[in-house]
Amino acid sequence: MTGSILSTSGLVAGYEPDLPIVHGIDFSVASGELVVLLGPNGAGKSTFVKAIAGLVPIHAGTMLLNGRDITHVAPHRKVAEGLAFVPQTENVFATMTILENLQIAVAHLAKAKRAAAIEALFARFPDLAARPSRLAGALSGGQRQMLAVARALALDPPVIILDEPSAGLSPKIVSEVFEMLKAINASGVTVLLVEQNVKAALAIASRAVILAEGRIAHEGLPQDLASDPLVGKIYLGTAHDHQKAPA
Amino acid sequence: MNPQFIMDGLIAGAIIGLGAVGVTLTYSILRFSNFAHGELLSWGAYLALAVAGALGTLSAGLTKPIAPFSFGWALPLAAVIAIGLTGLLALAVDALLFSSFRRRGSAIIIMVMASFGASLALRSLLEFLFTSRPAYFTKALQIAMKLGGGLRATPDQLLMLGVTLVSVVTVHLLMTRTDIGRAMRAVSENPALASIAGIDVRRVIRTTWFLGAALACVAGIMSGLLIQIRPYIGHDLLLPLFAAAILGGIGSVPGAMLAGLIIGLCEALAVQAVGAEWRAAVSFVILIAVLLVRPRGLFGKAS
Repeated sequence: MTGSILSTSGLVAGYEPDLPIVHGIDFSVASGELVVLLGPNGAGKSTFVKAIAGLVPIHAGTMLLNGRDITHVAPHRKVAEGLAFVPQTENVFATMTILENLQIAVAHLAKAKRAAAIEALFARFPDLAARPSRLAGALSGGQRQMLAVARALALDPPVIILDEPSAGLSPKIVSEVFEMLKAINASGVTVLLVEQNVKAALAIASRAVILAEGRIAHEGLPQDLASDPLVGKIYLGTAHDHQKAPA
Repeated sequence: MNPQFIMDGLIAGAIIGLGAVGVTLTYSILRFSNFAHGELLSWGAYLALAVAGALGTLSAGLTKPIAPFSFGWALPLAAVIAIGLTGLLALAVDALLFSSFRRRGSAIIIMVMASFGASLALRSLLEFLFTSRPAYFTKALQIAMKLGGGLRATPDQLLMLGVTLVSVVTVHLLMTRTDIGRAMRAVSENPALASIAGIDVRRVIRTTWFLGAALACVAGIMSGLLIQIRPYIGHDLLLPLFAAAILGGIGSVPGAMLAGLIIGLCEALAVQAVGAEWRAAVSFVILIAVLLVRPRGLFGKAS
């Protein structure tokens, strides 16, 4: 791992200026890391990553990508700068075909390079290549996630952020999604992952950060957080019966 | 029943359909009913009239009719310029009015009310500049040709049907085969996702305004050429335009065109069957029926 590729400093964000959800977060991800962002419901995880992607207004603080200030850069320009984001829901264009979804994703490339880029994505996600004219809205949950991730990877971004990619998927598909994320990270892409599936997320993460009430509550190595009963009980809902205090 | 109603209906339907394509595009992407759209038809017709007049003054040869049509080269040249000017007018209205509401995240009803205001202002300005007296691109008389089956049409009418067909096919290909068309469909479906997929949403909005205005201009010129030019031509077509956009299914270009033709044919049929005074009621009846029976229209996506 090398230096920080994505960082925030004192980031305050929320849909209304007087009702911030994210309260001054200082955070950084090193190049090549797979960082998992955990925390209870309402902790501000999704708002935080949406603010990074440009979908939630930022009211204070700064954000750097590869040393460049992208705090107030428009979302589509962040994509061109190398920041890819996969939302939790509605992450594909359902009324368009698989091919059209990918054509949109490669539209930033020179025309001569687009066909090869789509072929490379089909090689990486062979399930999508089988019927490129199929409507994205007709795909299964797992296939949709694959298409959403393929779309995000189309421009070979150095950083990809995923908001709960396992939500609503069957256990078998969830394990496939996590394998896919491991492979993406192994290929050199820095991954920031928001997850509720704590066990599976910690199993693939190189570092974990726990958010609570819009602030960073804990961070550390996955194995340390997983074995800390207090952290598990308070923030992750992973406490076992034997860890409960006696009545 | 005289079969000529079919030709009359197709011609009226072509004008309605072209205008409705603009309505459906702006509605699906900008997400509000723009009641100023009719004024873009009127402005398109008057801008073409003004430019054609200027060209005719510069060179009298440009006004000499191109056989077998009733107009000279001044009109097609003026149409091209008027399309650009109407597009710029739409962009100016957006920049001055609607964009500030978008930035503030205003409710849809505020945008709709603002469009009413824009409609009144644009129409009043048109009346101030050109007066409300009817104007004509040409006063040359044309004899309708027999087409068979009891149908007749003038060369101008047949040309306008051809222009409509070419316009709709061009817009359909633009929407399905080009980057900007796919971007427009993406923004129509999910603007937030479109932005993080790398689409410049503001550019798409500008393109939508321009394209909708360009089609409105063509429809206005057609209406002006085949009937007459008045400041109220767009306003009078507003209900049929919205009825066609809703019947076709919001966002569907072929749907809007087909629905425009259906409404035009129904209007022409009503004129023959029950009288011209019922013509305006046809769009209203169709609009209510569609909203009650199939709100998503013929080709609209289920919500």
